[in-house]
Amino acid sequence: MREIVTIQVGDFANYIGSHFWNFQDELLGLAEDPHGDSIFRSSSLNMDVLYRTGETHQGIPTYNPRLISIGLQGSLGSLSSTGSLYTSDPDPSDIITWSGNVSRYASEPQQKNLFLQTLYEEQTGPSAVSNDADVVSPTLQREVHDKDRVECLEKGVQYWTDFSKVQYHPRSLYELHSSWTDVKQFDNYGTGKDVLSEGLQGEEMNERMRLFVEECDHVQGIQFILDDSGGFSGVAAEYLENIADEYTNTPVLLYTVRDPHAYIHAKSQKDSITRSLHDAVSFSTLSSYCKLMVPIGLPSLSRSKLSSTLHVEDQKLFHCSAVYAAALHSISIPFRMDMRGPTVNTAYVSGAVDVGGIIQMLAGQGRQNMVATLDVAMPAPSLTGSILRSLNSLTPEVEEDVDDSQALESLITHGMLHAGRRASLSEVNDSIVAAYDCEMSKPKFSHASVSLCPLPIPLPFPSIFRSCVGRQGELLETPTEMTQTKGSLDIDSIPMAARLRSSRAVMPLIMKRLENLRKFGMQRGALGGGLLQNWGFGREEIEDMGEVMAKMVMQLDPHSQGSSGSDWD
Amino acid sequence: MSIRVLNPNAEVLNKSSALHMNINAARGLQDVLKTNLGPKGTIKMLVGGAGDIKITKDGNTLLKEMQIQNPTAIMIARTAVAQDDTSGDGTTSTVLFIGELMKQSERCIGEGMHPRVLVDGFDIAKRATLEFLERFKTPVVMGDAPDKEILKMVARTTLRTKLYETLADQLTDIVVNAVLCIRKHDEPIDLFMVEIMHMRHKFDVDTRLVEGLVLDHGSRHPDMKRRVENCYILTCNVSLEYDKSEINAGFFYSNAEQRENMVAAERRQVDERVQKIIELKNKVCSGTDKNFVVINQKGIDPPSLDLLARAGIVALRRAKRRNMERLVLACGGEAVNSVEGLTEDSLGWAGLVYEHVLGEEKYTFVENVKNPHSCTILIKGPNDHTIAQIKDAVRDGLRSVKNTIEDEAVVLGAGAFEVAARQHLITNVKKTVQGRAQLGVEAFADALLVVPKTLAENSGLDTQDVIIALTGEHDRGNVVGLNQQTGEPIDPRMEGIFDNYSVKRQIINSGPVIASQLLLVDEVIRAGRNMRKPS
Ligand SMILES: Nc1ncnc2c1ncn2[C@@H]1O[C@H](COP(=O)(O)OP(=O)(O)O)[C@@H](O)[C@H]1O
Ligand SMILES: [Mg+2]
Repeated sequence: MREIVTIQVGDFANYIGSHFWNFQDELLGLAEDPHGDSIFRSSSLNMDVLYRTGETHQGIPTYNPRLISIGLQGSLGSLSSTGSLYTSDPDPSDIITWSGNVSRYASEPQQKNLFLQTLYEEQTGPSAVSNDADVVSPTLQREVHDKDRVECLEKGVQYWTDFSKVQYHPRSLYELHSSWTDVKQFDNYGTGKDVLSEGLQGEEMNERMRLFVEECDHVQGIQFILDDSGGFSGVAAEYLENIADEYTNTPVLLYTVRDPHAYIHAKSQKDSITRSLHDAVSFSTLSSYCKLMVPIGLPSLSRSKLSSTLHVEDQKLFHCSAVYAAALHSISIPFRMDMRGPTVNTAYVSGAVDVGGIIQMLAGQGRQNMVATLDVAMPAPSLTGSILRSLNSLTPEVEEDVDDSQALESLITHGMLHAGRRASLSEVNDSIVAAYDCEMSKPKFSHASVSLCPLPIPLPFPSIFRSCVGRQGELLETPTEMTQTKGSLDIDSIPMAARLRSSRAVMPLIMKRLENLRKFGMQRGALGGGLLQNWGFGREEIEDMGEVMAKMVMQLDPHSQGSSGSDWD
Repeated sequence: MSIRVLNPNAEVLNKSSALHMNINAARGLQDVLKTNLGPKGTIKMLVGGAGDIKITKDGNTLLKEMQIQNPTAIMIARTAVAQDDTSGDGTTSTVLFIGELMKQSERCIGEGMHPRVLVDGFDIAKRATLEFLERFKTPVVMGDAPDKEILKMVARTTLRTKLYETLADQLTDIVVNAVLCIRKHDEPIDLFMVEIMHMRHKFDVDTRLVEGLVLDHGSRHPDMKRRVENCYILTCNVSLEYDKSEINAGFFYSNAEQRENMVAAERRQVDERVQKIIELKNKVCSGTDKNFVVINQKGIDPPSLDLLARAGIVALRRAKRRNMERLVLACGGEAVNSVEGLTEDSLGWAGLVYEHVLGEEKYTFVENVKNPHSCTILIKGPNDHTIAQIKDAVRDGLRSVKNTIEDEAVVLGAGAFEVAARQHLITNVKKTVQGRAQLGVEAFADALLVVPKTLAENSGLDTQDVIIALTGEHDRGNVVGLNQQTGEPIDPRMEGIFDNYSVKRQIINSGPVIASQLLLVDEVIRAGRNMRKPS
């Protein structure tokens, strides 16, 4: 077994992570549910890849995500950073180190929403039994109850913890302390770097990483999800630098994620320059500390092609993050297929490949392009249609439908349906081959991973499915008479397809950053020169950053020479 | 977390209202922190919205937990925290001193004095006070064998301001011995060579000094011994796990066989490295009762662990980077980056290595070492916030000992320095100053008294009475501090109350700098901009 360490940095990354772990938690529950769909009991997916086993001081066994989540202080809402799992102190408010006066300052307690309250009750067992005079059928009562729980999340999610049903290890959640920095000012690369230099915060983050890695027999890779729209880029860059130093041969798969708010127009020219430089600096710096980078996060999901099956409210982070989390879940499927060499398949999974393998596939051969795009079909159509045609990009600023004979790709499907039932591995594989055959231009290399296990829809998943989506995620020809959207109570699971692709499609994204760095940071008298200095970058470092990006462009298009004034804008 | 200070972001409108805003901010901060000062101060418990608890008696920690939004207050807080970063103590005093300087200034300005003149007076007073400190300080000779008693008194003074007496006194010996352990003649003291480790333990508060090292992990093989004596220690940074090697561009395994071959080749390389370690073990241990322990910064995978276990070697993986250095200082030998040409000379030595398990947490003790220059302070406490508070106190204690050794001087505490310096300024310095700047000197002198006054207040004593008693006794030619039990003057020397020289010096230095900036508002705006990033 080869372990993965997951790292989430920044608020939106944690929103995505929250859904991601809810999926895993749901899979764990379904695997033990004798009445559930049998595919979940024999999925041939190894959860130990993402989870760790442990034990409390009292000897109670635990099973938690192998995760480090970093956010700003106060971003955990009603969840305590150390959780309740490992604490056993009878009276934590007893002060035993001081015999003199004590004064207490208590913040307003954070209220748990209905969902978290009922979750808590489930865990601790039903509290006081309600009056048994009303004989309500227990299932009915439950349904009403579930409806309320789902509704309370639709109405107001304030923190990523508000919809999390997962128990985290006490070392998992780390709150960055940014003494006296306004959260609003934590919006650029420079502030992030400053925060880590405060006290021992960087060291503490590294230590947590070391302790998780020490337990592992052989880490296959690090799955790093970063909200790179602001100060967290600086935080992550330092973190990644240490990881590259300390775990040199452990591949890092970096997802840089953005929520729609990151695309709101800048208030002033100064703001817009700051943002452009931030994007350029963080893109270039981060790329040097990872092996594969996947930028995701569209300005609007509701205006993307996904809107034919999904009704996403863009302003709700709770909504958008669910879509990205589903895609990340799909990408992670091949990493935990029981690995016995790439050619050994079971009846349930085929095309196992580890993190290093995916990276090698996409960034280690051919043009060595390390920036990949992510596409998804959610839910994936039945095998009668082309899987490839149904994919939609989740990567922003890319050239759509780029025709690139040098492209490299890895396609993952799971839980595919065919004629109203679950398709077998061979049916899916045949259909993938057929889909590639139909394409006019074929990629240079493609790899397919297939699992029978669909994406389960846990209760705290948002109601974002259109009425054309059926209970098993099938696309209904005659949609049910429902104008409302469907959610976890209407849909049990969905088939998914996702694809990582290394192609020229990312050219505009890179070019824009390169040009902005040149325009605002490098040219004589550039408007943002002082800003970059303030962030701690010297002339040479800035030139190196430009160099890094120019090289990326060159690799993708040897004729462009990374020249400015290109036609990519 | 839970303490808010003053109104946020008040816009600066005009000079005089800006000045008052600054004065209010400084005094607001002073009000929050003043109950912290000294051994009779109040400990603060902060409870967050999700029930997370922090406890602190430390100005530094408290400031960092506060949601300060007022830019002036932020500036003062930064200065105070910087005070702690450089000298390790004196945060509370710094905030109080700045607050009091502002309070005195408000009075003078109210009486029509121009801030510029006041600032000139501060400047004169500051220089005079620093000169006075040079004469007032108590020199400490630090030869080959430092005066342990004086080190203990300084450490105890600091620790008793953070922890109740019995606990503080227990820690006093520990921090002094820890610093003396890592101290090398004529080299700066690197406190990182004292590892601070903690364990959570139900009802127990206990701290001990381990001469040697405690690691927060154990071996990962069921057959490795949990306790070994007479151990060679190999400290290394060598990968003992199979890494998939970088594959040439354009290549991807086309079949399973190719892949298997690569795996086998890589495996052989790792096995060879393990074999070299086993060879050395056999060479130095066979036929003796000696044992062999490998502590590696890199990973060790299960096949390697198997090989090592079969050879009777205890092996730990993923040691902290800093522990490589500490291990060598504690056990001897050297940290090696390669197993090529490994010899006995590279090995360190420990009389005893054993593992302690608490739930999923494992600790490895490396003890009974010969001539350690690194050691571990092991803190036990029932919960995270108690442990965190003790850790802070331990760090303060260690800093105070280090400072004393490096300053080669200490300063009498309990307000003695402040009273003496104040009297010196009033009787000797003030008269040498021309014009109204005299009032600046006087304001500065009175501001110094904030320390004894606050100490008195925190003991429930009448501040007026105390100051009269102290200055009176001083003028009779005695050096006096405050007895916090009785309110009577005492000789801090007799009570063993000593503060760090460098800490005092920095308080005197930075306090008036910030106060002056706050008084000269135009400069404040500029200074404020310097301290924050342009956005
Ligand atoms: N036993 C004591 N009696 C009176 N004053 C003391 C005693 N111990 C320490 N002090 C004084 O307490 C002050 C330090 O208090 P502390 O709470 O540590 O604040 P700071 O953060 O400024 O160091 C010093 O002025 C010191 O002289
Ligand atoms: Mg102190």
